[in-house]
This record gives sequence, C-alpha cells and structure tokens, in this order.
Amino acid sequence: MEKSTKCFLQQLVRRTPTRMLKATLEKWDRLTPHQRQSVDFTLPKWVITQTLVTICEENGLTMKHITELEMMHVIENPNQGTWYSFQLLDPEDDAHSVELMLFKEQFKTHLRELMRNVSIKIKKHTDEAVWIRIAWGSGFSRPNHLKPTYVVHYLQSPYVFVRNLTSKLKPLLMQSLTLSTRHQAIKDANLSGPKLMAIRDLLMKQYQQSFPTNDASPLAKENQPGPIVNEQAEARASRRRMASEAFGKGAVPQLQSAVYKLETKYRDPSNRTMTERDEPFRCVVKYSSSNILESFRHCASAGIASTPVTPLLSSILLKGRNYFVITDNAPAAASQTRQADL
Amino acid sequence: MEGASSNGVLSKLSLLEVEARSRGSHPQPQQSRVKELKAKVEALKTKRDQLKAELQTHKLLQRLRLSEVNHSEEEDMDEDSESSRVLRLMARHSELTDLLRAHRLIGGYEVVKTHQGKGVCMSIATGYEGVYLDTYNLEMDTNPKVRISRHNIPPFIPLDTLAEQSDLQTGIRTFLDTLSQHLNAYVGRRQQLKLMKEQHKSVEVMESNILCSMLVLMFTMPEQVAVLCLLDYKDLSRCLPTQVKLDCEDEKLTDSPQWKKSCSLLLELPVHRALTAMKKMGTVV
Repeated sequence: MEKSTKCFLQQLVRRTPTRMLKATLEKWDRLTPHQRQSVDFTLPKWVITQTLVTICEENGLTMKHITELEMMHVIENPNQGTWYSFQLLDPEDDAHSVELMLFKEQFKTHLRELMRNVSIKIKKHTDEAVWIRIAWGSGFSRPNHLKPTYVVHYLQSPYVFVRNLTSKLKPLLMQSLTLSTRHQAIKDANLSGPKLMAIRDLLMKQYQQSFPTNDASPLAKENQPGPIVNEQAEARASRRRMASEAFGKGAVPQLQSAVYKLETKYRDPSNRTMTERDEPFRCVVKYSSSNILESFRHCASAGIASTPVTPLLSSILLKGRNYFVITDNAPAAASQTRQADL
Repeated sequence: MEGASSNGVLSKLSLLEVEARSRGSHPQPQQSRVKELKAKVEALKTKRDQLKAELQTHKLLQRLRLSEVNHSEEEDMDEDSESSRVLRLMARHSELTDLLRAHRLIGGYEVVKTHQGKGVCMSIATGYEGVYLDTYNLEMDTNPKVRISRHNIPPFIPLDTLAEQSDLQTGIRTFLDTLSQHLNAYVGRRQQLKLMKEQHKSVEVMESNILCSMLVLMFTMPEQVAVLCLLDYKDLSRCLPTQVKLDCEDEKLTDSPQWKKSCSLLLELPVHRALTAMKKMGTVV
C-alpha cells in the first residue's frame, strides 16, 4: 500500500470513535465477514489501526476505497465541523430537468477545467441528497485527501451545503456548482451551524409551523377546578400562540447560534460622548444554546421576551438565516436594536 | 280643662292621627315589590321583542337568499331603506361564509383573517386518491400591497415564479388555483412513488428526485429480461408522466405490441396502477 494511503487510513481510524468505526465497517463491503470479525474493538486504538492497515493491504485496497470508507462515515455522522449554506439563483429554463447523471458529468468536467488535480467522488444518498467529496491538489501537487471538502445538494432545490472549504478554492467550487445545476448565480445564505440536518430542515421548510386557522383548538379550554380561576389564561394563551408562530411548533431544527453584527449609531441620551460620535458603534451580539429556537420560543411564551416577537428574532425562521448585519438604514431594525439586549 | 284632654276629643284625634300614619306606611314594602315585578316584566318584554326581531331578521335573510337563488320577484320591502340594505349585506355575508366552509370541506382552500384584518392566511389542502395528505399555508399582508410574508411550501415548488406569473394584486384566485394544482400534483406523484414501493417490491427504483419529477425504474420481464423504464414528469402541474422511455437489451421486444401497450399504460395510468395492470398482462414479473 502506498505511504500516503497508509497515512490516510491511519489518520481516519485514529480520528473516528471506535463505536462509529465499527458501525461503518459493517456497512462497507470491501472486507470479508471473516476479516471484519478478526478486528477486536476492545483493544486500544493503535492496535485496531494496525489490524485494519494489515487487512486493507491484504485486500489490495487503494486510496479510492479508503476515501469511500471516509465518505460513508461522514454521510452517517455529518455533525462535525461547520456547515455553511449557499443559495443558487436565477435558474435557467432547463434547471428543473437536471438529473443525476448529467449533474455528475457536468460538475466533474467543470471543476476539472478549473483545477487539474482534484479527486471528486459523488454519491447519492437515500433521502435524495447528492454528496460530493472533493480532495484538492494544485497545479503541481496531488490531491490532499486529509482535508477534503464535502458538499451536499438536493437536485431541483436551490440550496447547497458546504463543509471545510478555503476561501481560495471557494470561487472554483461555486462556479462549478452554478454551471452544473444550470443556474446563473450563487450567494451566501447566511445560515451555518454544526448540525447539517438542522440547517437542511430549516431551509427546506421541513419543520412544523403554526398558522392561524378557523378550527377551534382541542385544548382551548383549561378546566380549572372549583373557584380557582387563572386570571392570565388569555394573556398566556396569546403569548404561546405568538411564540409558536414565530419559532415553530413541536420539534424545531436544532440551531446552535445566532449572530447579529450591529453597525448602528450609539443611542443613549444620557451619554453624550458616545452619541456625538459619527461612526457607528460596532458590536456583535451572539446568542448560543444547544437549541436556540427552542430557547427563544420558551422565552416568548413565558413572557421573558416581549411579544409580539421582534422581527430580529423571528427572521431566523422567516428568512432562514442566523447571521444578520443590522445597519441604520432600516429604521425598524435600528429602533429595535436596543431590545436585543435580553 | 287639661285633665279632660287625655280622654277627650284631642286625644281621640291624636289617636286617629297615629292610626292613619301607621296605615300609610304599610303599602310601602308592597309598593317596592310591585315596582320590582313591574321592572322585571319590562325587561322580559324587551327581551321578547329582541328575540322576535332576530327571528324576523333570520326569516327575511332566508327569504332573501332563496329569492336570489330562484331569481324570483323581490319581496315588498322598501328598496332604499337602510334596514333592507343591511339585511341584503347580511344575507350575502352568510352566503359567502357558507360557501367558504363548503369549499374547504371539498378540499379547496381556507381563508382566515389575521392581524386585525391587515392580513390573511390561506390554507391549501392536498390529497390523492381520496386520502388527505399535507396542508400548506400561506400568510399574506394585504396593506399596502398583496405580498406573501410567511409560508411552509417547500423550496422546490416554484412559488416566486407562480406569484409573478399571476398578478397577486388582481389575480389572486388564479395564483391560488395554479399553486394548488402544483402542490396537489407534487403530493400525488410522491404518493404514487410510495404506493409503488409498497405494492411492487420486485420493481427497483434506480433514480428519483426530491420534486418527484423524474423516475427511473428497473423491472424484469418473463425470461429474466431486464427493462429500464424512464418516466419524465415535465409538466409539474400533472400527476401523470409526459414521456415514457423503455429500454432493454433484446431488440426484438421493442417492436412487440406488448411493449407499446406498456408504454401507453404508463402514460395513462398512475405508475402503481400501471404496474399492476402490466403484471396482470404478464409483461412484468
């Protein structure tokens, strides 16, 4: 086995937790059942690594096969690193009939035109997602498999999710994607996070939203026993309704942060030095939690955040983004920046 | 003379006075009770009159609606009176509310007012073959222009294109109809794929996409001949394919009448039903 391949395999096994490695190896059909059973996962990692390297050498596996293993692992466990989302704009007339074979061909051709030494692997997952793994080389060197870029795209939808892309290589990828999906432009969707499924669900609108309807809700009346009457029942129900309209109903996509970059002028009548400055007061407000939408929803329904929910917060779901730049040009946004200090 | 006053005329007079006074105070509790009862009678009378008026209005409304339906002569009501105009409006309003409710029950859209009349929320129900599937909602602002503010329609449905094609300000009905068509077609195609996977486990799905606008299937004909079938749904407002291509290695089969029949079946029937028919014919194993 080549040195670089061996190195890559060793690194892959080292980086992957044993339990996930075991699961992925079972799905990988390059090893015989006997070989799979011969790996003892209770031994220390370096022993497992050695065993696997030996087995792969026995089978004469190459870099191509090992990258297959890595890709399988990433598809099953995508929640590492940070995923950034992009939106394709201005589809051509035949954008709707782009099918997988055509897309694969076109993408590989376009990317190889822009950079000669790339290693591209495209795989379609069962939920219609097209996964692309790109190992970048340069004009002089072979592809570096240790730092691959992963791209996820659903054909016929305008969104692309990317992980681990350097800014130098970004224009190459963007151009290839735009051309092969038959669109005219691509832009940053300002939504990022560690959980791929969360940002995907948010953009593809695969979460439950609450809309006003004429149907009487089944739990409208709370039966309070005896003379105890909840004075604030109506107010509480109204807060809950507005919270679920702004932040969704039931299980919401697990976003972990929301960032607001403020470029607004400082406004405080009691502090003349700051207010007199001409430049905007630059600051960044970041909300983070294991599930910020759930937290915001709870704040709004409990009355900690004022209702109706400010558009700054409800824009997260409405516009599908978690990075905002607030400037003074939008008067509504400017007047409400002061409410952002929860 | 003073000693005789306790038994004399003055005393008698004073006694009479006291008696008269006491008799005067007796009717007072009775009077207040009578007053109470009289007030109650008045209240009940007004309530009865109110109910009578409501009943009358309802009867008039019914007659108005029937007369509008039957295009019969107008009842002898004062044409210009304020009350008749109000009654006519009320009749029209109740007719429209009933129509809206009926439309929603047959699977049309529901419209709800939001934000104190400044917006509306439309709900479009979708279904396929008698089964209710997803409901999609659109919230719209009506001031200053009609604009979609919030919705739960998936991004692969070309909502913006459809909104541009039919002017939202004037042709909202066309927009909703086209959108409903697209959504029902998408949901129908998706359901067909699901049913096909359930009912025909021997047929392999080689390729599909999230919009369900393209399907590549592989099934086997008798004598282990593998056939690749490509279904193209170019018209996104329909549940049936616009193009069917069947491919197989055996050249002779492509000319057989069975082949042509299979093609036409796949074009005319939903995919799961077409495959059932083809299985019956013996074309597919």
